[in-house]
Amino acid sequence: MRKERKRVNYTLLFMALSGFIFLIIFNYIPMFGIVIGFKDMDYVLNIKKALKASDFVGFENFIAFLKDKEFKNIMINTLGLNLLQLVITFPIPIIFAILLNELKLPKFKGAVQTITYFPYFISWVVFGGIILGMLSPEGGVINQILLSLGVIEDPLLFNSNPQYFWWIIIFSSVIKGLGWGAIIYIAAIAGIDQSLYDAAKVDGANRFHKNIYITLPCIAGTIVVMLLLSISGLLSSNFDQIYIFQNPLNLTRSEVLDTYIYKIGISQRRYSFTTAIGIFKSIISMLMLSSGHFVSKKFFGRGLF
Amino acid sequence: MIDNLAVKKGINMRIQKELRSWNVFDYINFIFMLLILVLCLYPFVFVLVGAFNEGNDYMRGGVYLFPRKWSLDNFTMVFNDKRLLIGFKNTVGRTVIGTITGTLFTSFVAYGMSRKDLPCRNLFYWFSIFTMFFGGGLVPFYLVLKSFNLINSFWVYIIPQLYSVFNMIIFVNFYKEIPEEIHEAGLIDGAKEFQIYRKLYLPLSIPVITTIAMWIGVGHWNSFFDSMVFTSDANLQTLQLFLVKLIKEAAMAQGEAATKVPSQVLKTVSITTIRYAAIVISTLPVILVYPFIQKHLAKGVIVGSIKG
Repeated sequence: MRKERKRVNYTLLFMALSGFIFLIIFNYIPMFGIVIGFKDMDYVLNIKKALKASDFVGFENFIAFLKDKEFKNIMINTLGLNLLQLVITFPIPIIFAILLNELKLPKFKGAVQTITYFPYFISWVVFGGIILGMLSPEGGVINQILLSLGVIEDPLLFNSNPQYFWWIIIFSSVIKGLGWGAIIYIAAIAGIDQSLYDAAKVDGANRFHKNIYITLPCIAGTIVVMLLLSISGLLSSNFDQIYIFQNPLNLTRSEVLDTYIYKIGISQRRYSFTTAIGIFKSIISMLMLSSGHFVSKKFFGRGLF
Repeated sequence: MIDNLAVKKGINMRIQKELRSWNVFDYINFIFMLLILVLCLYPFVFVLVGAFNEGNDYMRGGVYLFPRKWSLDNFTMVFNDKRLLIGFKNTVGRTVIGTITGTLFTSFVAYGMSRKDLPCRNLFYWFSIFTMFFGGGLVPFYLVLKSFNLINSFWVYIIPQLYSVFNMIIFVNFYKEIPEEIHEAGLIDGAKEFQIYRKLYLPLSIPVITTIAMWIGVGHWNSFFDSMVFTSDANLQTLQLFLVKLIKEAAMAQGEAATKVPSQVLKTVSITTIRYAAIVISTLPVILVYPFIQKHLAKGVIVGSIKG
């Protein structure tokens, strides 16, 4: 018997197509907009007209960015801050999840989870505003603590001195993302087969051994995926966070690619120049993600998919 | 009375028994967790105390746990600011409309994507996933919004947020868990595909709908970038953008005051506590709903991580 040819299910097609059309409009058409990066359209008044009329200039905008006097500083800030942030903030939720798992009182454990998730849902504007206040030389609690401990003699100008900027970003990220970042590891730990621990106990393993030899290897897959995703984001900053802490006095350490694109592209209307920077960023991120994927597949046998 | 005492004794004994099983590590871990709780909670105490303290008095420092000079002036100042009312109106509007439309549209598309008899299913998938890793950037996106007349329109908050591939995948993972027999039963009863989605799948997926709706809602409540970049009309300003302006202006004045203009210190004195009052007002709705939604929020991450 020959199988009857299936009828096309038009309802399903319509449902999927409506999402498809959305992506075409808001994701794929802007991708074609990358031609702006290869044209000379800076400072034009009518972008739509200029899109047709202006000339192609090849890679001029990219070269202009590489030669830009801000380039070196921005790349140092973007990569330096993100790398430092990765090294410090990546392991913390993992350690937190393991410690939480070791906590004996179930009710207290639940309370810790609920409370540590909370800062994640507060906007960076609010959280940043509070941290700025706490760091302030007038009425700020941090300076007061340092003063009374005798660590410093005069209040530190955290918000205007560029040298503190990276540390403020990292520290505020840790507090805000600690609980939420741990959820995925908590879920992974909860999924570990209990009999593994029982077997280890029979073999005489203590709690430290159990975590090193069972918990960590069992959640290694999750860790690798999260690490790869973070590596691909090394050129992207959390705009909301940087923007709220940034001010004209700390620009030397606080200007990153994303804030620069916003400032030059939207405020100063250098459309081609910033589109070129955006392409530069996207391509490097794609390269980092794919090379990270292949390296980890080769050496650890697991990648993103 | 006696019962009460007995219960108390029982609890005491349980605690004692529990504590006896603790070793040094357990105590250190417990204290460490307490410290983390303080770190996560104290910023909110700090801002609350400042908001209820008199401005000039606050700037003398030392107000960290309780207000020293109670005052509601900060709140009076903020409530008299017209921008707060406009911000509240826009933010509540976008959160309500955006959450409902965004959640429903994403679940609608996801249903189509989850069915095996969707033609070119793999193509649809790769097409969607590619957008998660590559984009055209801010300027081309701005141009698209402009050509749809969305710049300086309230709908710029709603329409670009209608659909997200990430949330779609979470919906699809959930729909796949629903037994296929339910779909078949629907077909036998003569239901059309759309009816099966609306009458069977939608009600069954309430848990995941709640989670996604919470995420979208929190995103709408907290976002200021779109308001800052895509609108210039003061009547379209969102609450968070109002806060950004309040904080950035004050932060700048403070920076200058610290280095250049000492006479401006006087001006900034009350700005700090006014700022705190505005922060408290705009965060209050989140704090009020948080206890009810926090369980749902975490669930989605776990649902989403199953695929990984």
